[in-house]
This record gives sequence, structure tokens and C-alpha cells, in this order.
Amino acid sequence: SEESESEGEAGRARDSGHCSEEEEEEGSDDEEEEDDEEDESMEEEGSAADGVVKSEEEEEQGALRWKEGLQQKASEAFLRQQEAAPNLRKLVYGSVVEADDSEEEEEELGGLFRVSRPQKSKKFQANARDCSRFNPDSSHNWDLEEMLNSIRDCFVTGKWEEGQDAA
Amino acid sequence: MASQGLTYDGCNFFRQRLVLATLSGKRVKIKGVRSREDNPGLRDFEASFIRLLDKVTNGSRIEINQTGTVLFYQPGLLYGGSVEHDCNPQRSIGYYLEALLMLAPFMKTSLKATLRGVTNDPTDPTVDLLKSTAVPLMKQFGIDGEGFDIKVVKRGMAPGGGGEVIFTCPVRRSIKPVQLTDPGKIKRIRGVAYSVRVSPQMANRIVDSARSILNQFLPDIYIYTDHMKGANSGKSPGFGLTLVAETLNGCFLSAEMSSTPQGQGDPVLPEDLGRNCAKLLLEEVYRGGCVDSSNQSLALLLMTLGQQDVSKVLLGPLSPYTIEFLRHIRDFFQIMFKIEVQKPLEDERKGGDKVLMTCLGVGYSNINKSIK
Repeated sequence: SEESESEGEAGRARDSGHCSEEEEEEGSDDEEEEDDEEDESMEEEGSAADGVVKSEEEEEQGALRWKEGLQQKASEAFLRQQEAAPNLRKLVYGSVVEADDSEEEEEELGGLFRVSRPQKSKKFQANARDCSRFNPDSSHNWDLEEMLNSIRDCFVTGKWEEGQDAA
Repeated sequence: MASQGLTYDGCNFFRQRLVLATLSGKRVKIKGVRSREDNPGLRDFEASFIRLLDKVTNGSRIEINQTGTVLFYQPGLLYGGSVEHDCNPQRSIGYYLEALLMLAPFMKTSLKATLRGVTNDPTDPTVDLLKSTAVPLMKQFGIDGEGFDIKVVKRGMAPGGGGEVIFTCPVRRSIKPVQLTDPGKIKRIRGVAYSVRVSPQMANRIVDSARSILNQFLPDIYIYTDHMKGANSGKSPGFGLTLVAETLNGCFLSAEMSSTPQGQGDPVLPEDLGRNCAKLLLEEVYRGGCVDSSNQSLALLLMTLGQQDVSKVLLGPLSPYTIEFLRHIRDFFQIMFKIEVQKPLEDERKGGDKVLMTCLGVGYSNINKSIK
């Protein structure tokens, strides 16, 4: 159907986005190493990355630490970005039913018993509590100065744009 | 399909389905209501909501099957007038009032509803919050005039209730389209710290702790204390705080917190409640927009029902409830919104992403309204 096609497309688009993100990160990684060691050839680099880390461990431990788990960091950052900026129109008006159907799978125990997880099923969602409250983002810690600074300009006491005045 | 109208599964989003059915005149069938639970069917508060809906309309047909798992609703005309209702204390009056706010401007005669029950609980928006945010929001859409008010006569905390609220609303033939795209900066913060059947000192302790956080941003903060006594204090003890930030362009962002209902979990200290509520307000400021998260769906409904002109409203991130409301608006009114995400600039310190909602009103006119 049309809807499933668009779903598929979304999936592919997401995948390709993921790849390019990783490549970018790896690219910057390569450049960095080139600066460190000029006589190291490009072909070796992929496999030699570990060796480089070991040989210069003593001098550059601090400098190289940021490279640890780069791929994981990149994918985490990407996922965070995806969550923060989804295609809202698709999220709101896209096909909801299909997304839910895929979740309905039942585990079997010893080929005889079925594990029932009503909390996860579509039925449970449909019968959840009817309430308009929007729970706050739990990752925001309003004890931190950083968080407080992120909203300073929402108040009249904050910085004003050019051409605007408190008067 | 045509004979049955729209069909939905489950009891979630119960109110918005019935409200939109009433406004659009479409029949709706809700099936599978808690059908797999030990205690299936509609709950008392839902039955109470249906009775309230029946009171403000004329000629509605409601059929419920024996187990209460299937509901059929054929809306009648919105009548209005003087209505008294004992709201089931399983949910607070805010639960019922949220729906009434959506219906009231489209009645035949102006509504005067006396609602009795729980005025403040931690689950639903409290009457204090709706009074200070929903009412000014509706005024932006041209719903105003004398006698547009929510008045807390008696306060009743969960679980006992015993509160009383009078809601009066004038009727309108049509709704004004709006352009709310710039909230402006927050100029002041107001609030109400209420307490009943506990020491009046509780409210003062809440105020002090909330101020300690908010004073980092603004000097203009005033939190009223409201201590009701005797017959006006309801059946259960409790306290709470409602905070509202007002911007230069007349937008209101709110946050609130109520004490844990008696006998339902760990009690909270007034100091903690004040601080946490202040942080909730900061979260709401971070979300931003011209309408706060609890009134998003009300704003979107009034945009939909506006004259045939473009309305724009800037919102914070859409809540799950609002997202479902948008889907229901599409089902009932065939209106889809244009949704644009606005990212904050690099050096801006104005919180997170905003969402600009644009739509063309359906040109809804209130045919019920009597001509004088």
C-alpha cells in the first residue's frame, strides 16, 4: 500500500542519514591522525588506528581520549537529533496503525504458554488514562546553571534583540 | 461506516472524541473500552462526564451496552443555560471543565455551570490553572464580554472533594482567526498558593521556596496565598501551587503542583512542592510558544473552528495528547495543519524548538445561537 511504501522510504532515509553521519565523524578522525603523524599513509590508517593509539599512548593519552567510542557517540548524537527534530507532519498524520501492529508479538515459553504483556500492546495504549498533562523532559535538570542560562532571554531581564527596546 | 459515523477503539481520549463529535454533529462509536481488564467497561467518572454532556445538549442519544465496553453517541444540539452537575470525584473538575471550555462558546444560550467535586488534584489541570490560562487564551479568539469567568466558590481537594466552581461563558456566532506568532518576553509571574484543612503557614512556606528559584530571573513576582476555611474548605486536607508567567504580548505559560491526596502515597513537604513547581514553570518557559502545553488542544480547536481565514499559533513541542487531538480534528473536520519546526538560533537563549501551527478555519458558525 501507499502508506507502507512511505514507511519504507522513511526507514531507508533514516539509514542513509545514519551512514553519512558516521562517515563524517570518521573523516574528521582521519584528518586528525594525519596531523599527528605525517609519514603514515592513508591506506594503513583504518587498520592501524589501534596501533597508533598504543605507540603514542604515553604522550597523547589525554589528546586521544576523545576518540574512544566515537561511533557510539556519533550514533547517540544522531538518535538524539532524530528524536528532537522528527518530521512532525509525518509523526502526526502518518499511519499510526501499522507502526503499532509491528509491536504486537507474543513470546512463547516451552511451546505451550504465551507470555502476555498487556502493558506493551496497542489495546493498553488505547485504554490508557485520558489526561492532557504533558510530563516534563526528565533529562532537564533545573538545578544546573547551564539549564537556567538556556532560558535567560525569555524574560524582560534578558538580552534584547536589535531594534527592540524595553520601553 | 456512514450509518455508524466514526468508530474508535478504547477509552483513551474519551473527552476529545465526544466533544468533537458534538461540535461537528457526527455520530461516534467507541468500542473495546477496557475490554481485557478485570473490571471492564466505562468508569464512574466517564459516566459522570456523559451525564454532563447530556445536560448541556438537547436531543443527544447515548447507548451503552450491558458491560459498558461499547458506547454509541449521537450528538444533539448544544443548548447551554443553567446547569448543575456533581462531578464524580475520581477525576477533578478540571477534567470536566476542559471539555466544557471547548463547548461553551457554541451553545444556544450562554452557559452557567455549577460544578461540584474535586477542585484540585495532581492528575488534571486544576480550576485555578484553567482560570488563569484558558480564559485569557479564549479572549484572544474573541470570546469575551461580561460574565466570562471561572469562580472557585469552595475548594475541595482530592480524594474527598466537596468543592464548588461556577463557570459562566457567553456564546459567540463565530470565532476570530488569530496570529499568535511572537509571545514576547515574560514580564511578570503571578501565582496562587492554596491550602485547606492544614495550617495556613503551609501556603507561606510554598511561596518562599518558589520565589527563591524564580527570583533568579525576575523581580516582579507575586504569589497570592489562599486559605479557605470552614464550609468552603471541602472534605480533604491539602495544599498546592499554581504559577503563571505573563508575557509582554499577553500570552500565559503555567505550571502547577498539588500535594499528594490523603492516603495515596508519600506526603510532600511544602518547600519541595514550591521548588518543584517553580522548576516546572521553568520547563514550561523552555518549551515556550504562545500557548502553554496544557492549552494546546483548546487553541488548535478554536483555530479550526475560526472563520475561513488563516490562523497561526506558535506552540512549544506538541504533547502526546495534542498529537492525538490533531488526528481527531482531521477525522471530524477534515482539517490538517501545516506544522513547521522553528529551531532557535545559535546564540539565542530562549529554550528549545518551537512549532508553528498554521491552518485555514472551517468557517464554523454557531447555528444554535438564538438571535435577539
